[in-house]
Amino acid sequence: MDWKTRILTALETAAHAPQPEVIEELAQHAQSLYEAARAEGCPTREAERRVVAQIERWRLEAAMLRHASRRPAAVEPPPASVSGLGDVTLDVRYAARLLRRQPRHAVLTIVTMALGIAATATLFSVTYGVLLKPLPWPHADKLVQLGETRGGAPPRFGSFTNAVYLAWKDQATTIDGIAGWSARAVTLTGSGDPERVRIVSCSASLFPILGARPLVGSLFDEADETLRDPSVIVLSERLWRRRFGADPGVVGRRLELDGRPHAVVGVLPDALAFPDRFVLAWVPYRIQPATGNFLSMFNAIARLRPGVTPDQAAAEGSARGQNAPDTSLTTTAIFGNNGPVQVSATGFLDAATADVRRPLIVLFIGVGLLLVTATANVASLHLARLTTRRREVAIRAALGAGSSRVIRQLVVESLLLGLLGGAAGLGLATALLRGLPAILPAGFPRLDDIGLDLTVIAFVTVLSIGVGVAFGAVPALTVRRLNLAETLADRGAVAQSHGPRLRTAHLRLAIMAGQVAIACVLLIGASLLGRSFVKLLNVDRGYDPAGVVISMIPMQAPGYPPERRFELLNRILSATRRAPGVTAVAFTSELPLTAGGSTMAFTLPPRGPSRQVTSVQASPRIVSPEYFSMLRMRILEGRGFTESDTDTSPTVVVVNRSFARTYLGDAALGSRLPVTGYAPEEGEARESTVVGVVEDVRYGMAGDATQPEVFYTHRQMRGRLSVPVIAVMARTTGDGSSVVPALRTVVRDADAGLVPDRIMLLEDGVLTSLARPRFYAFLLGGFAVLAVIVAGVGLFGVLSYSVAQRSRELALRVALGASRMDVVRIVLRQGAVVTALGILAGVCASFILMRSIAALLFGVTSHDGLTYMAVPLALAAIAAAACFGPARRAARLDPLTGIRDP
Amino acid sequence: MVCQYMGTDMLERELKRGSAELLILALLDERARHGYDLARLIDGRSGGTISFHVTSLYPTLYRMERQDLIEGRWVEKAGQRRRRYYRITTAGRKALARHRSVWENFVDALNRVARIKTA
Repeated sequence: MDWKTRILTALETAAHAPQPEVIEELAQHAQSLYEAARAEGCPTREAERRVVAQIERWRLEAAMLRHASRRPAAVEPPPASVSGLGDVTLDVRYAARLLRRQPRHAVLTIVTMALGIAATATLFSVTYGVLLKPLPWPHADKLVQLGETRGGAPPRFGSFTNAVYLAWKDQATTIDGIAGWSARAVTLTGSGDPERVRIVSCSASLFPILGARPLVGSLFDEADETLRDPSVIVLSERLWRRRFGADPGVVGRRLELDGRPHAVVGVLPDALAFPDRFVLAWVPYRIQPATGNFLSMFNAIARLRPGVTPDQAAAEGSARGQNAPDTSLTTTAIFGNNGPVQVSATGFLDAATADVRRPLIVLFIGVGLLLVTATANVASLHLARLTTRRREVAIRAALGAGSSRVIRQLVVESLLLGLLGGAAGLGLATALLRGLPAILPAGFPRLDDIGLDLTVIAFVTVLSIGVGVAFGAVPALTVRRLNLAETLADRGAVAQSHGPRLRTAHLRLAIMAGQVAIACVLLIGASLLGRSFVKLLNVDRGYDPAGVVISMIPMQAPGYPPERRFELLNRILSATRRAPGVTAVAFTSELPLTAGGSTMAFTLPPRGPSRQVTSVQASPRIVSPEYFSMLRMRILEGRGFTESDTDTSPTVVVVNRSFARTYLGDAALGSRLPVTGYAPEEGEARESTVVGVVEDVRYGMAGDATQPEVFYTHRQMRGRLSVPVIAVMARTTGDGSSVVPALRTVVRDADAGLVPDRIMLLEDGVLTSLARPRFYAFLLGGFAVLAVIVAGVGLFGVLSYSVAQRSRELALRVALGASRMDVVRIVLRQGAVVTALGILAGVCASFILMRSIAALLFGVTSHDGLTYMAVPLALAAIAAAACFGPARRAARLDPLTGIRDP
Repeated sequence: MVCQYMGTDMLERELKRGSAELLILALLDERARHGYDLARLIDGRSGGTISFHVTSLYPTLYRMERQDLIEGRWVEKAGQRRRRYYRITTAGRKALARHRSVWENFVDALNRVARIKTA
């Protein structure tokens, strides 16, 4: 019995049109009444009469049913004909009321947008703060960082030589000034506890080049460069506040750096700190002429004259550099050759951020893709919602609202949502930015310049508007194609004609495929970075860092002559050996994982058929005999050092594989090398014999090339130690952290004036050197996971909606004999086609895009086969999981309900 | 809903309204029910003394739903058409307690004045 139609007809004659839900509920009641009457034994006609009487009573009270449903009551739309600004206000109010009526939809949209916008805003603040924000010094765009190469080879450390600096300085025509500087850590004493601080030694010309003005006192000038005991010092504002309580009378006060007295001449504002705010003081540095074998290395900066390009300055520098004095072997030690000088000039900002530029751009593109896919999800959601709002739109159009009027209303709605999402995103970004310094890798440039400023807020506002328009425009444009009569006829529920809906459905499927493609690209990128990181982590470094604790002990002060250093070293070594939990102890002059250090050059007499003198460049390392066994380095040939290698025995050296291969060929053992790793005195041996070859060790980034190295034993140093910083390493039974306090005590007991620079686990050092690749992999991985979730949820939504939309069709198929499996297959096929298209597009796009991250990869190519196989499979599995729910629902469709009900 | 033994219009309207609510809340306090079930039970349990015209059952249900005394929800059971079930809310339970005490007082007062004994 079709009670629904009867009730509907009855109530409509009473000029009331209750909600479809009410009609349905009354129809259920009528049916139950009918069945009860029949069960009592009433004949059909009598049972029907009872129901009709009931319907008649409902008709009488129909007025009370009108507002019955809990469904959101219609919100009165804004008038169709008003124009001007008041019109927009009405639109906004209407949109706000609609959102309040459908809080779940609004919240879903706002949360999705907020997540996308927060991630984008955070990365934008980082990218803008690091790569784009102008540097703090006046006309900073004129500042260039100088670099020097010889015969095309860069120096082992530093970036510029005194030879070229002085040859250029006084005759420069393209630059207004040039300055040399280098940063180091010193022990600061006087006016408070001793502390290790980072300072910069710089030529006095640095301040005029920067255009820096002091906060208090003055900055040093050229005459100050030669002052000794006391020398002068410019404090940073931070150090001045911390150590002197911002005392304006600080000028003239004394401080000691590594035991040497310095008089304060002024304070530099933190905003102008050079090169960054981690530097707490500046001391003068005199650039000495390059004579004989003397060459000094530092960083150089110059200010371009107006109208001069960096390339012109570089050309002048290269030309002037040809007149630089020849420092022969020292040049070879530093550059590996003594070829012609080539000077480069790079904008200071570009140079300071060069190594983070590409990763940041890659990450920014990644987060942009994430935002696009989040926006697509919202657009898809809006499209779905629009199909249920078709009647509203059609009625408004029928009442005289032009399509542009309706479109504007829809766009205002999505703009409002976009802006709300943007505001929430900005709040989230603020929190993220606050936590950012903790997760950014150490040494990340311009950390202080990352923050939420007006530019970021403007960016977020524009972004929110853009995103709002983007996800509003797609649904709005489909309104243009709306067929009025058709839409009004279909009662907003039953799909009589598939025309416009089919188009909308196709659009949603296309959006979906795009989302899968984006998820695929991000996932491939993240997998490549992740695999690269794992390779970096597991690469054979040539030694075993697990459980090794290292302690860096600076002995620069005048109180530590070479003999004292030697004595202290032996005392610290034997005391450390006795510490509980320590199994082996060793000393090295150069720490693994630290860049730079020392370098040396010498010539080898002609060998083999070439009959040419070989210029050798190598890093000297002074170590204790246990060094190789303690680090578990592999000895490839010969032996390591033993206790019997002493001052009285012949001088011996061990070289690494790179050295042997490059300079000694097959017959490394027994080769004679000149002793240049330390300065031998009169009467000491000037030649040494190679007794062993050890495997190369990767010190810095695992991807770095290995250097030729020569090892000397400290027991053949005649009781003297020329190195100013000693590194003591201890292998422990546990993870090492438990012996750290003991090591501190050992150093203090040896000499109360010694302050270990840092005591750390070698493994932490390895991890620190991997902090950037880990950070990049982690961040891109996060974006990829979010994109996959967004795509998975999107796929689920689109398919669920599609099943709901097609329930009549699917039910009809079942009624006509299709099996449950057939119905499931229809739904799955739809999901599979979308996923396959998305994956195909994603893989193709990745193949092109991943070339841009090739430079960030180690041990994995940008077209790594395994990644390109695994990611599509993983995505397919996730898509299958997302399809499961809708497919099951389709399988459970009751053919009768499906056909009868909307 | 009509209580056949009531007198003045106003009292009748108030009582009607109050008693309808009381009856519905009391029945829903037992368990969630659909509209037809409610109508049948009210008719059956009062032994026909209270003739409950289901005409205004739905307006009453919807009004109570708007006031958050009850909550309606479509439930689908295997092999059945979906039905709208109502269940009592926390606010509804409080209202039920209030109604009960008002009715008890009222019946008590009637009893004292008119010496009508209720069952």
